[in-house]
Amino acid sequence: MEEQEVNQSCENGRRNGEAEQEEDSALQFLDSIDSYLCLMDSLSSTLREGWLELASARHSMGISRITNVLLDLKPHSAATTIKVSSHVFESSSTEDPMVRQPHITLSKWSSFKDGKGCFGEAVAGEEEFKNKSQNPQLRHRNPSQFPEFQEAHTSSEGASLSADDEAKKERTKSLSVFGTLVSPKLRAAQHSFESVLEILVEIANKRSLLVWDALGMEDDGVPWWVLGW
Amino acid sequence: MYGFEALTFNVHSGYLEAIVRGYRSGLLTAADYNNLCQCENLDDIKLHLSATEYGPYLQNEPSPLHTTTIVEKCTLKLVDEYKHMLCQATEPLSTFLEYITYGHMIDNVVLIVTGTLHERDVHELLEKCHPLGMFDSIATLAVAQNMRELYRLVLVDTPLAPYFSECITSEDLDDMNIEIMRNTLYKAYLEDFYRFCQKLGGATAEIMSDLLAFEADRRAINITINSIGTELTRDDRRKLYSNFGLLCPYGHEELAVCEDIDQVRAVVEKYPPYQSIFAKMSYGETQMLDKAFYEEEVKRLCLAFEQQFHYAVFFAYVRLREQEIRNVMWISECVAQNQKSRVHDSVVFIF
Repeated sequence: MEEQEVNQSCENGRRNGEAEQEEDSALQFLDSIDSYLCLMDSLSSTLREGWLELASARHSMGISRITNVLLDLKPHSAATTIKVSSHVFESSSTEDPMVRQPHITLSKWSSFKDGKGCFGEAVAGEEEFKNKSQNPQLRHRNPSQFPEFQEAHTSSEGASLSADDEAKKERTKSLSVFGTLVSPKLRAAQHSFESVLEILVEIANKRSLLVWDALGMEDDGVPWWVLGW
Repeated sequence: MYGFEALTFNVHSGYLEAIVRGYRSGLLTAADYNNLCQCENLDDIKLHLSATEYGPYLQNEPSPLHTTTIVEKCTLKLVDEYKHMLCQATEPLSTFLEYITYGHMIDNVVLIVTGTLHERDVHELLEKCHPLGMFDSIATLAVAQNMRELYRLVLVDTPLAPYFSECITSEDLDDMNIEIMRNTLYKAYLEDFYRFCQKLGGATAEIMSDLLAFEADRRAINITINSIGTELTRDDRRKLYSNFGLLCPYGHEELAVCEDIDQVRAVVEKYPPYQSIFAKMSYGETQMLDKAFYEEEVKRLCLAFEQQFHYAVFFAYVRLREQEIRNVMWISECVAQNQKSRVHDSVVFIF
Protein backbone atom coordinates (compact mmCIF):
# COMPACT_ATOMS: atom_id res chain seq x y z
CA MET A 1 0.00 0.00 0.00
CA GLU A 2 2.68 2.37 1.01
CA GLU A 3 4.65 1.34 -2.06
CA GLN A 4 1.70 2.19 -4.26
CA GLU A 5 1.37 5.60 -2.62
CA VAL A 6 5.09 6.27 -3.14
CA ASN A 7 4.87 5.23 -6.79
CA GLN A 8 1.81 7.42 -7.27
CA SER A 9 3.46 10.46 -5.71
CA CYS A 10 6.55 9.93 -7.92
CA GLU A 11 4.32 9.71 -10.96
CA ASN A 12 2.51 12.92 -9.95
CA GLY A 13 5.85 14.69 -9.43
CA ARG A 14 7.04 13.61 -12.85
CA ARG A 15 3.83 14.81 -14.47
CA ASN A 16 4.06 18.15 -12.67
CA GLY A 17 7.67 18.53 -13.86
CA GLU A 18 6.68 17.80 -17.45
CA ALA A 19 3.80 20.27 -17.24
CA GLU A 20 6.14 22.96 -15.95
CA GLN A 21 8.60 22.21 -18.74
CA GLU A 22 5.81 22.51 -21.32
CA GLU A 23 4.71 25.81 -19.83
CA ASP A 24 8.26 27.11 -19.92
CA SER A 25 8.63 26.07 -23.56
CA ALA A 26 5.33 27.71 -24.47
CA LEU A 27 6.26 30.93 -22.67
CA GLN A 28 9.66 30.97 -24.34
CA PHE A 29 8.01 30.47 -27.71
CA LEU A 30 5.52 33.28 -27.13
CA ASP A 31 8.35 35.50 -25.95
CA SER A 32 10.27 34.77 -29.16
CA ILE A 33 7.21 35.59 -31.27
CA ASP A 34 6.78 38.88 -29.42
CA SER A 35 10.37 39.89 -30.04
CA TYR A 36 10.04 38.81 -33.68
CA LEU A 37 6.99 41.05 -34.15
CA CYS A 38 8.82 43.93 -32.46
CA LEU A 39 11.71 43.46 -34.86
CA MET A 40 9.34 43.53 -37.86
CA ASP A 41 7.82 46.81 -36.61
CA SER A 42 11.28 48.24 -36.09
CA LEU A 43 12.29 47.18 -39.61
CA SER A 44 9.28 48.87 -41.16
CA SER A 45 9.74 52.16 -39.29
CA THR A 46 13.51 52.30 -39.85
CA LEU A 47 13.11 51.60 -43.56
CA ARG A 48 10.47 54.34 -43.90
CA GLU A 49 12.72 56.76 -42.07
CA GLY A 50 15.66 55.88 -44.33
CA TRP A 51 13.70 56.45 -47.54
CA LEU A 52 12.39 59.79 -46.29
CA GLU A 53 15.87 60.90 -45.27
CA LEU A 54 17.12 59.99 -48.74
CA ALA A 55 14.34 62.09 -50.28
CA SER A 56 15.25 64.90 -47.90
CA ALA A 57 18.89 64.68 -48.97
CA ARG A 58 17.82 64.89 -52.66
CA HIS A 59 15.70 67.92 -51.80
CA SER A 60 18.64 69.55 -50.03
CA MET A 61 21.51 68.71 -52.38
CA GLY A 62 19.63 68.70 -55.67
CA ILE A 63 18.35 65.90 -57.89
CA SER A 64 21.47 65.96 -60.08
CA ARG A 65 23.69 65.18 -57.11
CA ILE A 66 21.74 62.24 -55.76
CA THR A 67 20.71 60.10 -58.67
CA ASN A 68 21.11 56.47 -59.61
CA VAL A 69 23.27 57.31 -62.64
CA LEU A 70 26.11 58.22 -60.26
CA LEU A 71 26.31 54.74 -58.75
CA ASP A 72 29.66 53.13 -59.43
CA LEU A 73 29.63 50.30 -61.98
CA LYS A 74 33.33 49.49 -61.56
CA PRO A 75 34.01 46.10 -59.95
CA HIS A 76 34.64 46.44 -56.22
CA SER A 77 34.42 44.18 -53.19
CA ALA A 78 31.33 44.17 -51.01
CA ALA A 79 31.45 46.57 -48.10
CA THR A 80 29.16 44.37 -46.00
CA THR A 81 28.94 40.58 -45.97
CA ILE A 82 27.00 37.89 -44.14
CA LYS A 83 28.25 34.55 -42.93
CA VAL A 84 25.86 31.62 -42.55
CA SER A 85 26.95 28.98 -40.07
CA SER A 86 25.24 25.85 -38.77
CA HIS A 87 25.17 24.85 -35.15
CA VAL A 88 24.45 21.23 -34.38
CA PHE A 89 22.34 20.31 -31.36
CA GLU A 90 21.21 16.99 -30.00
CA SER A 91 17.49 16.37 -30.24
CA SER A 92 15.33 13.85 -28.52
CA SER A 93 13.54 13.19 -31.81
CA THR A 94 14.13 9.69 -33.15
CA GLU A 95 13.77 10.85 -36.75
CA ASP A 96 16.66 13.31 -36.66
CA PRO A 97 18.74 13.09 -33.49
CA MET A 98 21.20 15.80 -34.71
CA VAL A 99 19.43 19.09 -35.49
CA ARG A 100 21.26 21.77 -37.54
CA GLN A 101 20.25 25.32 -36.78
CA PRO A 102 21.43 28.01 -39.22
CA HIS A 103 22.81 31.25 -37.81
CA ILE A 104 23.55 34.39 -39.81
CA THR A 105 26.27 36.82 -38.81
CA LEU A 106 26.58 40.28 -40.34
CA SER A 107 29.98 41.80 -40.98
CA LYS A 108 29.58 45.53 -41.68
CA TRP A 109 32.12 47.59 -43.53
CA SER A 110 34.54 44.66 -43.88
CA SER A 111 38.02 45.84 -44.85
CA PHE A 112 39.43 43.65 -47.58
CA LYS A 113 42.96 45.00 -47.59
CA ASP A 114 45.53 42.21 -47.84
CA GLY A 115 42.71 39.71 -48.23
CA LYS A 116 41.76 39.85 -44.56
CA GLY A 117 38.27 40.56 -43.39
CA CYS A 118 37.41 42.46 -40.26
CA PHE A 119 34.83 40.44 -38.37
CA GLY A 120 34.82 42.24 -35.04
CA GLU A 121 31.10 42.62 -34.90
CA ALA A 122 30.52 39.10 -36.18
CA VAL A 123 32.53 37.50 -33.38
CA ALA A 124 30.43 39.26 -30.76
CA GLY A 125 27.26 38.01 -32.43
CA GLU A 126 28.46 34.39 -32.42
CA GLU A 127 29.42 34.39 -28.74
CA GLU A 128 26.05 35.81 -27.79
CA PHE A 129 24.35 33.10 -29.81
CA LYS A 130 26.35 30.29 -28.23
CA ASN A 131 25.55 31.52 -24.72
CA LYS A 132 21.90 31.77 -25.52
CA SER A 133 21.59 28.38 -27.18
CA GLN A 134 23.43 26.50 -24.41
CA ASN A 135 21.41 28.17 -21.66
CA PRO A 136 18.00 28.95 -23.06
CA GLN A 137 16.25 31.56 -20.93
CA LEU A 138 13.12 33.56 -21.01
CA ARG A 139 13.74 36.92 -22.71
CA HIS A 140 14.31 39.64 -20.14
CA ARG A 141 12.58 42.85 -21.08
CA ASN A 142 14.81 45.14 -19.02
CA PRO A 143 18.45 44.17 -19.45
CA SER A 144 19.62 47.18 -17.35
CA GLN A 145 18.62 45.18 -14.25
CA PHE A 146 21.63 42.94 -14.94
CA PRO A 147 24.90 44.86 -14.27
CA GLU A 148 27.04 42.04 -15.71
CA PHE A 149 25.76 42.94 -19.21
CA GLN A 150 26.89 46.55 -18.75
CA GLU A 151 30.36 45.52 -17.51
CA ALA A 152 30.93 43.27 -20.53
CA HIS A 153 29.91 46.12 -22.83
CA THR A 154 32.33 48.69 -21.35
CA SER A 155 35.30 46.29 -21.42
CA SER A 156 34.92 45.82 -25.20
CA GLU A 157 34.68 49.59 -25.91
CA GLY A 158 38.41 50.19 -26.09
CA ALA A 159 38.94 47.38 -28.63
CA SER A 160 36.13 48.66 -30.85
CA LEU A 161 37.55 52.23 -31.27
CA SER A 162 39.90 51.31 -34.13
CA ALA A 163 37.14 49.26 -35.78
CA ASP A 164 34.88 52.34 -35.54
CA ASP A 165 37.48 54.50 -37.30
CA GLU A 166 37.75 51.93 -40.07
CA ALA A 167 33.96 51.73 -40.36
CA LYS A 168 33.74 55.53 -40.50
CA LYS A 169 36.24 55.61 -43.38
CA GLU A 170 34.34 52.92 -45.26
CA ARG A 171 31.06 54.79 -44.75
CA THR A 172 32.57 57.98 -46.15
CA LYS A 173 34.04 56.05 -49.07
CA SER A 174 30.70 54.50 -49.98
CA LEU A 175 29.00 57.91 -49.93
CA SER A 176 31.70 59.46 -52.11
CA VAL A 177 29.84 58.36 -55.27
CA PHE A 178 27.56 61.33 -54.58
CA GLY A 179 30.46 63.69 -53.88
CA THR A 180 32.85 64.25 -51.01
CA LEU A 181 30.88 67.05 -49.34
CA VAL A 182 27.47 65.51 -48.77
CA SER A 183 24.64 66.71 -46.59
CA PRO A 184 24.22 65.30 -43.04
CA LYS A 185 20.80 64.10 -44.23
CA LEU A 186 22.45 61.67 -46.64
CA ARG A 187 24.65 60.35 -43.84
CA ALA A 188 21.54 59.92 -41.69
CA ALA A 189 19.89 57.95 -44.51
CA GLN A 190 22.98 55.74 -44.75
CA HIS A 191 22.84 55.12 -41.01
CA SER A 192 19.16 54.15 -41.24
CA PHE A 193 19.76 51.65 -44.04
CA GLU A 194 22.70 50.26 -42.10
CA SER A 195 20.39 49.69 -39.12
CA VAL A 196 17.92 48.00 -41.45
CA LEU A 197 20.60 45.46 -42.43
CA GLU A 198 21.25 44.66 -38.77
CA ILE A 199 17.54 44.25 -38.09
CA LEU A 200 17.12 41.95 -41.10
CA VAL A 201 19.87 39.65 -39.83
CA GLU A 202 18.30 39.70 -36.35
CA ILE A 203 14.93 38.77 -37.89
CA ALA A 204 16.48 35.88 -39.80
CA ASN A 205 18.14 34.56 -36.64
CA LYS A 206 14.96 35.09 -34.65
CA ARG A 207 12.99 33.02 -37.15
CA SER A 208 15.60 30.31 -36.83
CA LEU A 209 15.17 30.36 -33.05
CA LEU A 210 11.38 30.28 -33.43
CA VAL A 211 11.66 27.07 -35.43
CA TRP A 212 13.97 25.70 -32.74
CA ASP A 213 11.52 26.60 -29.99
CA ALA A 214 8.65 25.11 -31.99
CA LEU A 215 10.58 21.85 -32.36
CA GLY A 216 11.20 21.91 -28.62
CA MET A 217 7.51 22.26 -27.98
CA GLU A 218 6.74 19.36 -30.31
CA ASP A 219 9.18 17.23 -28.39
CA ASP A 220 7.27 18.16 -25.27
CA GLY A 221 4.14 16.77 -26.82
CA VAL A 222 2.48 19.98 -28.00
CA PRO A 223 0.88 19.23 -31.44
CA TRP A 224 2.25 21.25 -34.37
CA TRP A 225 -1.17 22.64 -35.27
CA VAL A 226 -1.38 24.36 -31.87
CA LEU A 227 1.72 26.29 -32.82
CA GLY A 228 0.02 27.50 -35.99
CA TRP A 229 2.80 26.25 -38.30
CA MET B 1 20.89 107.24 -55.54
CA TYR B 2 19.96 105.41 -58.72
CA GLY B 3 20.36 106.58 -62.30
CA PHE B 4 17.42 107.49 -64.45
CA GLU B 5 16.35 103.90 -65.13
CA ALA B 6 12.68 104.93 -65.12
CA LEU B 7 13.32 106.94 -68.29
CA THR B 8 15.10 104.29 -70.35
CA PHE B 9 14.48 100.84 -68.89
CA ASN B 10 11.18 100.17 -70.64
CA VAL B 11 12.68 100.92 -74.06
CA HIS B 12 14.50 97.60 -74.18
CA SER B 13 13.32 95.59 -71.18
CA GLY B 14 9.83 96.84 -70.35
CA TYR B 15 8.10 94.06 -72.23
CA LEU B 16 10.14 91.34 -70.56
CA GLU B 17 9.69 92.83 -67.10
CA ALA B 18 5.94 92.72 -67.68
CA ILE B 19 6.23 89.14 -68.90
CA VAL B 20 8.20 88.04 -65.84
CA ARG B 21 5.75 89.75 -63.50
CA GLY B 22 2.98 87.87 -65.25
CA TYR B 23 4.87 84.63 -64.80
CA ARG B 24 5.28 85.46 -61.11
CA SER B 25 1.51 85.68 -60.65
CA GLY B 26 1.31 82.05 -61.81
CA LEU B 27 3.35 80.73 -58.89
CA LEU B 28 1.51 78.29 -56.63
CA THR B 29 -0.23 79.82 -53.62
CA ALA B 30 -0.70 78.51 -50.09
CA ALA B 31 -4.15 77.21 -51.09
CA ASP B 32 -2.56 75.19 -53.93
CA TYR B 33 -0.02 73.71 -51.55
CA ASN B 34 -2.73 72.81 -49.03
CA ASN B 35 -4.60 70.95 -51.76
CA LEU B 36 -1.45 69.16 -52.84
CA CYS B 37 -0.62 68.17 -49.26
CA GLN B 38 -3.97 66.43 -48.95
CA CYS B 39 -3.49 64.20 -51.99
CA GLU B 40 -3.54 60.45 -51.46
CA ASN B 41 -1.39 59.46 -54.43
CA LEU B 42 0.58 60.92 -57.33
CA ASP B 43 -2.41 60.78 -59.68
CA ASP B 44 -4.23 63.12 -57.28
CA ILE B 45 -1.25 65.47 -57.42
CA LYS B 46 -1.39 65.40 -61.21
CA LEU B 47 -5.11 66.20 -61.01
CA HIS B 48 -4.53 69.21 -58.77
CA LEU B 49 -1.60 70.45 -60.85
CA SER B 50 -3.69 70.20 -64.03
CA ALA B 51 -5.67 73.19 -62.71
CA THR B 52 -2.45 75.24 -62.49
CA GLU B 53 -0.02 76.41 -65.17
CA TYR B 54 1.65 72.97 -65.03
CA GLY B 55 -1.50 71.41 -66.48
CA PRO B 56 -0.44 71.27 -70.14
CA TYR B 57 2.88 69.69 -69.21
CA LEU B 58 1.43 66.88 -67.12
CA GLN B 59 -1.85 66.08 -68.83
CA ASN B 60 -0.39 63.53 -71.27
CA GLU B 61 1.68 61.64 -68.74
CA PRO B 62 0.43 58.08 -68.27
CA SER B 63 -0.11 56.41 -64.91
CA PRO B 64 1.62 55.25 -62.82
CA LEU B 65 3.44 58.52 -62.29
CA HIS B 66 6.80 58.87 -60.62
CA THR B 67 8.07 61.86 -58.67
CA THR B 68 10.94 62.26 -61.14
CA THR B 69 8.43 62.61 -63.99
CA ILE B 70 6.54 65.34 -62.16
CA VAL B 71 9.77 67.22 -61.46
CA GLU B 72 10.93 66.87 -65.08
CA LYS B 73 7.70 68.28 -66.47
CA CYS B 74 7.63 71.16 -64.02
CA THR B 75 11.23 71.93 -64.95
CA LEU B 76 10.29 71.91 -68.65
CA LYS B 77 7.82 74.72 -67.99
CA LEU B 78 10.55 76.81 -66.36
CA VAL B 79 12.87 76.11 -69.29
CA ASP B 80 10.23 77.18 -71.84
CA GLU B 81 9.60 80.43 -69.99
CA TYR B 82 13.30 81.13 -69.64
CA LYS B 83 13.95 80.49 -73.35
CA HIS B 84 11.08 82.80 -74.29
CA MET B 85 12.61 85.58 -72.21
CA LEU B 86 16.15 84.90 -73.47
CA CYS B 87 15.22 85.02 -77.13
CA GLN B 88 13.44 88.36 -76.62
CA ALA B 89 16.21 89.94 -74.51
CA THR B 90 18.82 92.42 -75.70
CA GLU B 91 22.13 93.25 -74.11
CA PRO B 92 22.88 93.49 -71.25
CA LEU B 93 19.77 91.63 -70.13
CA SER B 94 20.60 88.63 -72.34
CA THR B 95 24.00 88.26 -70.66
CA PHE B 96 22.33 88.63 -67.27
CA LEU B 97 19.88 85.85 -68.14
CA GLU B 98 22.73 83.61 -69.30
CA TYR B 99 24.55 84.16 -66.01
CA ILE B 100 21.55 82.69 -64.21
CA THR B 101 22.14 79.32 -65.91
CA TYR B 102 25.89 78.96 -65.31
CA GLY B 103 25.28 77.28 -61.94
CA HIS B 104 23.33 74.53 -63.69
CA MET B 105 26.07 74.27 -66.30
CA ILE B 106 28.61 73.61 -63.56
CA ASP B 107 26.35 70.94 -62.04
CA ASN B 108 25.98 69.26 -65.43
CA VAL B 109 29.74 69.25 -66.04
CA VAL B 110 30.35 67.63 -62.65
CA LEU B 111 27.56 65.10 -63.25
CA ILE B 112 29.05 63.99 -66.58
CA VAL B 113 32.61 63.83 -65.22
CA THR B 114 31.58 61.93 -62.06
CA GLY B 115 29.36 59.53 -63.98
CA THR B 116 32.15 58.82 -66.48
CA LEU B 117 34.54 58.15 -63.61
CA HIS B 118 32.03 55.54 -62.40
CA GLU B 119 31.89 53.97 -65.88
CA ARG B 120 28.34 55.05 -66.63
CA ASP B 121 26.99 55.50 -70.14
CA VAL B 122 27.12 59.08 -71.42
CA HIS B 123 23.59 58.94 -72.82
CA GLU B 124 21.99 58.11 -69.48
CA LEU B 125 24.05 60.87 -67.87
CA LEU B 126 22.86 63.38 -70.46
CA GLU B 127 19.24 62.49 -69.67
CA LYS B 128 19.80 63.49 -66.05
CA CYS B 129 21.40 66.85 -66.86
CA HIS B 130 19.47 70.02 -66.05
CA PRO B 131 18.09 71.45 -69.32
CA LEU B 132 19.02 75.02 -68.34
CA GLY B 133 22.68 74.02 -68.12
CA MET B 134 23.09 72.25 -71.46
CA PHE B 135 25.63 73.33 -74.07
CA ASP B 136 26.68 71.89 -77.42
CA SER B 137 29.85 69.99 -76.59
CA ILE B 138 28.73 68.63 -73.22
CA ALA B 139 28.88 64.98 -74.33
CA THR B 140 32.60 65.36 -75.14
CA LEU B 141 33.32 65.76 -71.43
CA ALA B 142 33.39 61.99 -71.11
CA VAL B 143 36.75 61.68 -72.89
CA ALA B 144 38.73 63.92 -70.49
CA GLN B 145 41.08 62.21 -68.02
CA ASN B 146 42.15 65.25 -66.00
CA MET B 147 41.19 68.90 -65.57
CA ARG B 148 43.69 70.14 -68.12
CA GLU B 149 42.11 67.96 -70.82
CA LEU B 150 38.65 68.94 -69.57
CA TYR B 151 39.49 72.57 -70.19
CA ARG B 152 41.46 72.11 -73.42
CA LEU B 153 39.03 69.73 -75.18
CA VAL B 154 35.66 71.05 -74.10
CA LEU B 155 35.32 73.92 -71.69
CA VAL B 156 37.60 76.43 -73.42
CA ASP B 157 34.72 77.31 -75.78
CA THR B 158 32.06 77.56 -73.08
CA PRO B 159 31.14 80.40 -70.72
CA LEU B 160 32.79 78.43 -67.90
CA ALA B 161 36.28 78.81 -69.42
CA PRO B 162 37.26 81.89 -67.36
CA TYR B 163 36.39 80.04 -64.15
CA PHE B 164 38.87 77.25 -64.80
CA SER B 165 42.02 79.28 -64.28
CA GLU B 166 42.10 78.40 -60.57
CA CYS B 167 41.67 74.67 -60.96
CA ILE B 168 43.65 73.62 -64.00
CA THR B 169 45.93 70.80 -62.91
CA SER B 170 47.19 67.62 -64.47
CA GLU B 171 45.98 65.54 -61.57
CA ASP B 172 43.66 62.73 -62.47
CA LEU B 173 40.00 63.31 -61.72
CA ASP B 174 38.90 61.56 -58.54
CA ASP B 175 36.05 62.15 -56.10
CA MET B 176 37.86 64.70 -53.96
CA ASN B 177 39.33 66.62 -56.91
CA ILE B 178 35.92 66.72 -58.59
CA GLU B 179 34.32 68.11 -55.44
CA ILE B 180 36.99 70.79 -55.15
CA MET B 181 36.57 71.57 -58.85
CA ARG B 182 32.79 71.94 -58.40
CA ASN B 183 33.08 74.33 -55.51
CA THR B 184 35.98 76.30 -57.04
CA LEU B 185 34.03 76.78 -60.28
CA TYR B 186 30.93 77.87 -58.41
CA LYS B 187 32.95 80.31 -56.31
CA ALA B 188 34.46 81.85 -59.46
CA TYR B 189 31.02 82.01 -61.10
CA LEU B 190 29.42 83.78 -58.14
CA GLU B 191 32.23 86.33 -57.95
CA ASP B 192 32.02 86.96 -61.70
CA PHE B 193 28.23 87.39 -61.54
CA TYR B 194 28.65 89.76 -58.62
CA ARG B 195 31.14 91.90 -60.55
CA PHE B 196 28.84 91.96 -63.59
CA CYS B 197 25.90 93.17 -61.49
CA GLN B 198 28.07 95.84 -59.87
CA LYS B 199 28.99 97.07 -63.37
CA LEU B 200 25.30 97.31 -64.30
CA GLY B 201 24.74 99.60 -61.32
CA GLY B 202 21.46 101.06 -60.07
CA ALA B 203 18.75 98.97 -58.49
CA THR B 204 20.07 95.83 -60.23
CA ALA B 205 23.43 96.16 -58.47
CA GLU B 206 21.89 96.88 -55.10
CA ILE B 207 19.34 94.06 -55.09
CA MET B 208 21.56 91.47 -56.77
CA SER B 209 24.42 92.26 -54.37
CA ASP B 210 22.17 91.36 -51.47
CA LEU B 211 20.89 88.16 -53.13
CA LEU B 212 24.32 86.98 -54.27
CA ALA B 213 25.91 87.80 -50.90
CA PHE B 214 23.27 85.66 -49.21
CA GLU B 215 24.00 82.86 -51.67
CA ALA B 216 27.74 83.11 -50.98
CA ASP B 217 27.19 83.04 -47.22
CA ARG B 218 24.84 80.08 -47.43
CA ARG B 219 27.36 78.20 -49.54
CA ALA B 220 30.11 78.92 -47.03
CA ILE B 221 27.98 77.57 -44.17
CA ASN B 222 26.93 74.47 -46.13
CA ILE B 223 30.50 73.73 -47.21
CA THR B 224 31.60 73.99 -43.58
CA ILE B 225 28.86 71.69 -42.27
CA ASN B 226 29.26 69.13 -45.07
CA SER B 227 33.04 69.00 -44.67
CA ILE B 228 32.97 68.27 -40.94
CA GLY B 229 34.53 64.84 -40.40
CA THR B 230 35.87 64.58 -43.97
CA GLU B 231 39.41 64.67 -45.35
CA LEU B 232 39.04 68.27 -46.58
CA THR B 233 41.74 70.32 -44.84
CA ARG B 234 41.08 73.70 -43.23
CA ASP B 235 43.10 75.49 -45.91
CA ASP B 236 41.18 73.77 -48.72
CA ARG B 237 37.93 74.57 -47.00
CA ARG B 238 38.91 78.26 -46.67
CA LYS B 239 39.80 78.40 -50.38
CA LEU B 240 36.25 77.33 -51.33
CA TYR B 241 34.59 80.34 -49.65
CA SER B 242 33.70 83.27 -51.93
CA ASN B 243 35.47 86.60 -51.54
CA PHE B 244 32.33 88.58 -50.82
CA GLY B 245 29.33 88.34 -48.55
CA LEU B 246 28.50 89.30 -45.01
CA LEU B 247 30.68 86.56 -43.57
CA CYS B 248 33.74 87.63 -45.58
CA PRO B 249 36.45 87.83 -44.27
CA TYR B 250 36.19 87.40 -40.50
CA GLY B 251 33.34 84.91 -40.52
CA HIS B 252 35.18 82.78 -43.07
CA GLU B 253 38.30 82.69 -40.88
CA GLU B 254 36.25 81.34 -37.99
CA LEU B 255 34.20 78.93 -40.13
CA ALA B 256 37.37 77.41 -41.58
CA VAL B 257 38.35 76.01 -38.16
CA CYS B 258 34.92 74.76 -37.04
CA GLU B 259 34.78 71.08 -36.11
CA ASP B 260 31.09 70.66 -35.29
CA ILE B 261 27.70 72.23 -35.94
CA ASP B 262 27.57 74.08 -32.62
CA GLN B 263 30.81 75.92 -33.45
CA VAL B 264 29.31 76.89 -36.82
CA ARG B 265 26.26 78.17 -35.00
CA ALA B 266 28.40 80.21 -32.60
CA VAL B 267 30.21 81.86 -35.54
CA VAL B 268 27.13 82.63 -37.64
CA GLU B 269 24.94 83.86 -34.79
CA LYS B 270 27.20 86.90 -34.44
CA TYR B 271 25.65 88.20 -37.68
CA PRO B 272 22.10 89.52 -37.05
CA PRO B 273 20.55 88.48 -40.40
CA TYR B 274 21.53 84.88 -39.73
CA GLN B 275 20.79 84.86 -36.03
CA SER B 276 17.08 84.39 -36.74
CA ILE B 277 17.85 81.38 -38.94
CA PHE B 278 19.69 79.47 -36.24
CA ALA B 279 17.22 80.60 -33.60
CA LYS B 280 14.66 78.25 -35.21
CA MET B 281 16.85 75.21 -34.51
CA SER B 282 17.92 73.47 -31.35
CA TYR B 283 21.59 72.85 -30.55
CA GLY B 284 23.28 70.09 -32.51
CA GLU B 285 20.45 69.89 -35.05
CA THR B 286 20.83 70.46 -38.78
CA GLN B 287 17.62 68.98 -40.15
CA MET B 288 15.71 72.26 -40.34
CA LEU B 289 18.67 74.38 -41.45
CA ASP B 290 17.94 73.98 -45.16
CA LYS B 291 14.31 74.97 -44.73
CA ALA B 292 15.30 78.00 -42.64
CA PHE B 293 17.72 79.15 -45.36
CA TYR B 294 15.15 78.59 -48.10
CA GLU B 295 12.58 80.63 -46.17
CA GLU B 296 15.03 83.50 -45.79
CA GLU B 297 15.92 83.30 -49.49
CA VAL B 298 12.27 83.32 -50.55
CA LYS B 299 11.64 86.39 -48.38
CA ARG B 300 14.50 88.27 -50.09
CA LEU B 301 13.47 87.09 -53.57
CA CYS B 302 9.88 88.29 -53.07
CA LEU B 303 11.16 91.69 -51.94
CA ALA B 304 12.95 92.04 -55.31
CA PHE B 305 9.53 92.44 -57.00
CA GLU B 306 8.74 95.49 -54.87
CA GLN B 307 10.93 97.68 -57.09
CA GLN B 308 10.71 98.29 -60.83
CA PHE B 309 13.18 98.84 -63.66
CA HIS B 310 15.85 96.37 -62.69
CA TYR B 311 17.01 92.89 -63.77
CA ALA B 312 16.89 91.23 -60.36
CA VAL B 313 13.21 90.32 -60.95
CA PHE B 314 14.36 87.81 -63.60
CA PHE B 315 16.83 86.19 -61.22
CA ALA B 316 14.23 86.21 -58.45
CA TYR B 317 11.58 84.62 -60.66
CA VAL B 318 13.83 81.76 -61.77
CA ARG B 319 14.87 81.08 -58.18
CA LEU B 320 11.26 81.18 -56.95
CA ARG B 321 10.23 78.69 -59.65
CA GLU B 322 13.06 76.40 -58.64
CA GLN B 323 11.87 76.61 -55.04
CA GLU B 324 8.35 75.79 -56.19
CA ILE B 325 9.64 72.74 -58.07
CA ARG B 326 11.49 71.64 -54.91
CA ASN B 327 8.24 72.02 -52.96
CA VAL B 328 6.30 69.93 -55.48
CA MET B 329 9.04 67.30 -55.44
CA TRP B 330 8.98 67.08 -51.64
CA ILE B 331 5.19 66.87 -51.48
CA SER B 332 5.22 64.16 -54.16
CA GLU B 333 7.84 62.15 -52.26
CA CYS B 334 5.87 62.38 -49.00
CA VAL B 335 2.66 61.33 -50.75
CA ALA B 336 4.38 58.48 -52.62
CA GLN B 337 5.98 57.20 -49.40
CA ASN B 338 2.76 57.65 -47.40
CA GLN B 339 4.42 60.07 -45.00
CA LYS B 340 2.12 63.06 -45.29
CA SER B 341 2.74 63.99 -41.67
CA ARG B 342 6.27 65.03 -42.67
CA VAL B 343 5.21 67.17 -45.62
CA HIS B 344 5.65 70.47 -43.79
CA ASP B 345 9.26 69.62 -42.86
CA SER B 346 10.55 71.08 -46.12
CA VAL B 347 7.75 72.96 -47.92
CA VAL B 348 8.44 76.71 -48.12
CA PHE B 349 5.43 78.81 -48.94
CA ILE B 350 6.13 81.61 -51.39
CA PHE B 351 2.95 83.63 -50.91
